Amino acid sequence: MAIDFIIILTMKNLYSILFISIFFFFSCNKSNKAENGSDKKIKVGVTMLSMQNEFIVNISDEMSKKAEELDVELITVDAEHQPLKQIEQVESFIAQKVDVIIMNPCEVEASSPAVTKALTAKIPIINVNSATTIQPTAFVGSNDVESGRIAMNFIAEKLGGKGNIVMIHGFMGQAAQIQREQGAKEILKKYPNLKLISHQTGEWDRAKSMDLMQNWIQSYGTKINAVFAQNDEMGLGALKALQDAGLKDKVIVVSIDAIADALQAVKKGTLDATVFQNAKQQGAGAIETAVKIVKGQPYEKELMIPFQLVTKENIGKFLK
Amino acid sequence: MSSNPKNILQVQNLSKSFLGVKALDNIQFDIQKGEVHALMGENGAGKSTFMKILIGLLKPDCGEIIFDGEILKTNNVHENLKKGISMIHQEILFVPELTVAQNIFLGRETNHRNWLNDKAINHKTQELLDLIGLKINAHTKIKKLSIAQMQMIEIAKAISNNAKVIIMDEPTSALSDKEVSMLFKIIKDLKEKGVAIIYISHKMEEIFEITDRITVFRDGNYIDTKNTNELNQNALIALMVGREIGSLFPEKVTFKGEKKTILSVKNFSKKGKFENINFEVLAGEVLGIAGLMGAGRTEIARAIYGLDKYDSGEIILKGDKINIKSPKEAIEKGIGYVSEDRKALGFIPAMSINENISLSSLVNYSKVWFVNSTNEQEATSQLSNDLKIKSTSINQKVMNLSGGNQQKVVIGKVLLTSPSLIILDEPTRGIDIGAKFEIYKLINQLTDKGIAVIMISSELPEILGMSDRILVLSKGKQTALFTKQEATQEKILQYAVN
Amino acid sequence: MLNRLKQYGIFVVFIIICLILSLISNQFFTVSNWTIIITQASINALLAFGVTFVIITGGIDLSLGSMVAVTGVTAAMLAHPDIYPVALPVFAGLISGLLMGVFNGFIITKSKIAPFIVTLGTMTIGRGLALILSKGRPVSNLSDSFNFIGGGDVFGIPFPIIVLILIFAICSITLKKTLLGRYIYAVGGNEQAARASGINVNQVKMAVYSISGLLAGLAGILLTSRITTGQPNAGAGFELDAIAAAVIGGTSTSGGTGTMTGTLVGVLLIGVINNGLDLLNVTSYYQQVVMGIIIIGAVVLDSWNQKSNG
Repeated sequence: MAIDFIIILTMKNLYSILFISIFFFFSCNKSNKAENGSDKKIKVGVTMLSMQNEFIVNISDEMSKKAEELDVELITVDAEHQPLKQIEQVESFIAQKVDVIIMNPCEVEASSPAVTKALTAKIPIINVNSATTIQPTAFVGSNDVESGRIAMNFIAEKLGGKGNIVMIHGFMGQAAQIQREQGAKEILKKYPNLKLISHQTGEWDRAKSMDLMQNWIQSYGTKINAVFAQNDEMGLGALKALQDAGLKDKVIVVSIDAIADALQAVKKGTLDATVFQNAKQQGAGAIETAVKIVKGQPYEKELMIPFQLVTKENIGKFLK
Repeated sequence: MSSNPKNILQVQNLSKSFLGVKALDNIQFDIQKGEVHALMGENGAGKSTFMKILIGLLKPDCGEIIFDGEILKTNNVHENLKKGISMIHQEILFVPELTVAQNIFLGRETNHRNWLNDKAINHKTQELLDLIGLKINAHTKIKKLSIAQMQMIEIAKAISNNAKVIIMDEPTSALSDKEVSMLFKIIKDLKEKGVAIIYISHKMEEIFEITDRITVFRDGNYIDTKNTNELNQNALIALMVGREIGSLFPEKVTFKGEKKTILSVKNFSKKGKFENINFEVLAGEVLGIAGLMGAGRTEIARAIYGLDKYDSGEIILKGDKINIKSPKEAIEKGIGYVSEDRKALGFIPAMSINENISLSSLVNYSKVWFVNSTNEQEATSQLSNDLKIKSTSINQKVMNLSGGNQQKVVIGKVLLTSPSLIILDEPTRGIDIGAKFEIYKLINQLTDKGIAVIMISSELPEILGMSDRILVLSKGKQTALFTKQEATQEKILQYAVN
Repeated sequence: MLNRLKQYGIFVVFIIICLILSLISNQFFTVSNWTIIITQASINALLAFGVTFVIITGGIDLSLGSMVAVTGVTAAMLAHPDIYPVALPVFAGLISGLLMGVFNGFIITKSKIAPFIVTLGTMTIGRGLALILSKGRPVSNLSDSFNFIGGGDVFGIPFPIIVLILIFAICSITLKKTLLGRYIYAVGGNEQAARASGINVNQVKMAVYSISGLLAGLAGILLTSRITTGQPNAGAGFELDAIAAAVIGGTSTSGGTGTMTGTLVGVLLIGVINNGLDLLNVTSYYQQVVMGIIIIGAVVLDSWNQKSNG
């Protein structure tokens, strides 16, 4: 207990204090129950990149569902894009002696110390959705490079290997941005007649990429044949700008994530394609792996959930 | 003019203009070691420009400054300070959160290895404080000191700079009589040590008490330098304004109308500030309120005007008992207040004369939400003319006016609300003689119209010259109420100290 | 007169930048591009007008971006097709903005806590509220009539531009011609003197924060309608653009000075730079640096201009 309080005091952070005090409250309650019960419940600490991102919220929701199903106790916290906060959260999980930690890392490098800390404390840690440089106990997620490849391949096929492309980046320097760009560029290399005429950041934001697309339309007009946006929000922003300019019929728009809005747009035929990253399998897979680790059962060290291309032809599968 | 070896500072043919307007034209000035030399002139005479050039804040267009035998070429405040020219500012510039010692040695707090050396500066500061007879600790934070004490600290700072010339700009404007005599003692000590002091003040008595010579500027020109003992007050004023002024106070006109009671205050109290105050003011009358600093004069005015709360007592305005909670209500009921602290409470510096004058009565010049600027400007320019506010136009910003004209703007703002009672708190503080006379005339015009005036002042001649009756306060209590005929300077002082 | 000269300074900077851009890029000086610039700038403009009132009183409003998110989500939730008439989401968006503004004003006047701190608090509260209301997901499927607000046009003029012109006129007249406008300058110029002159300072402060909230509500509706979805994380950092526009336009953060015309020029300057850098295909990394340099440069140039104008 004393150590926990010292941690709280050193944080000097209202949010952390709030979060942790709530968890204290809950964990105290729950542990009493567990003592009364016959079997001890598995306790898992989860820290998520940002609960302001729809896809991450989806993963988190899937985890909660799976946890309920397997009778696992979840403590979920939001790192708000801050690696330091994430490390502090993992420290507090260690102090609470959770059975497994699931981390959705904020950064490849900066979130790595959290992995080291958990491993030193002999608490298994699972990375979900994206990676860290230090190898965790297990990884559940998808390879973002692959999503970039799938999206760009679709564009290449549609254009017959020839045409002008613009690319809208996410926040520059984030793992997803780097990997999606890498995947897209691998494909571009194979098609020398596909030209990337411009690429700028839309900061994952719909309004920003709409502004960006409008400006591109000013500068390139009808020269643009296809748009690759690194997430659906930005894809939908670009789509809106193209529709307003009456150019949608002439330009192919592809993005990644398959959020609800994007699926609707694919169904209507306005968005040409999106790439489905399986939040359900990632979330559920993480919880299943956690349970396997605690029970000493064999588990996959790298559970790769494949991406799927979503177009008008197969949209039915994805709409619930 | 050849350089006199006895002169620590000699200025020759100095000129400076701003945007083609001459602020200083061919100025001559000299001061010897151990001399106290008064620099006199009305506001706008060029005194402050001259001071700014001496301390290195401004660069002259032409002319020569010879300091300590060398031609002073720098225009860098820090450089001039090091050479030994210091200035005690009218407005005090300190860092409130730092200690006395840290403020005195601000920018010089390091030893030769660039380490902070608090112990040494505390020690040195304590020596300085003892030297000037100030009984405070070097560790005290500046914010805990009174304005008078801060002024003394400014002087200590100048001494610590080994100043050879100290410029004092209105050093006594915020000091009590006791503190003034302490300051004069320090000035005499400095004189003996050979420090030259350039002394600027509007207070005539001080000039004649403390200075050796007097130089007069007028409209940016050098007028004359005389030994103080060759001049008397009237002769000096004549030099400053360029004409003879018969009397300091205008002829008093008695109000012909019915002398109704406008305001009466009964058992007025506020804990720790004032206690059991009773007085009344009649239409067309000036009630002077005298007392030392801290006697509770301003506090009473603020409470009547709704700026501060009071604990108990009654305010009766024209027969009705009123309870004023804010200046807004006071104005609506016909009470006007001209504060002693013009800068803090009087005007909005970035606004024009027009906008300042109309500020309190803007509702009267508006339809629904919109300001009718034609009517507004008509009213304010009328007042601006009546009050003889010197400006390029009524759209000039008030921050660019002289102190006297700023005060007229504040008075104009109060007048435009057509008050039946005006409280004037130190109405002539920091204002030159010409403007003072105009404000006195204005007070007479007000009473002539049947307006009741309460005038709070620290200057006894003003109180005696202007009031019909005089209320004397001491330590928050009312000690005497004189008629004009009964009152003398000695009597008032006696009851104020009591 | 002096005020005019001050505006003139930043206006010159604006013209110079426009001239340079039209020399480098032949797409820049076209009607269609300017339509886009002004449409894109309209949201920042509404926020900047609101915050100009606040800054002139010597305050600051950091909750603008969060208010945009809350009001946008609120409006979006009521703007699904065929449920309510379009007036309802618009009204709800405006009211929610107004309420947040009133809340800011109330806390600031009653508690005497610095506006910086209070609005920093509401900034976080607002962001949380937006996420709670939307459950962390964008609110989409909005009615066509709602989407007209940000996307439609009247006689070929995009609706946001019409809103911009209208609001600019109202704000400008409020500041220049009304009692409130005069009192706003007075409170910012010298709060104590304003009170002593019989101005109800708290009322004035309540008014400016409420206006700021109301305009943020309008901005939130415009943004939501433009991107046809209510985003709980929309508007992050918008407050900084709005404050930058006001400051570039000559509004002093110490209060007492500033004009709506200046702020409008500031808004357009930022819009033109954003647009120009995209047109010139300046890469993302450099865009941020260039933007920062131009902001500082514009203000420095402006202050030189002021000095030489005396």
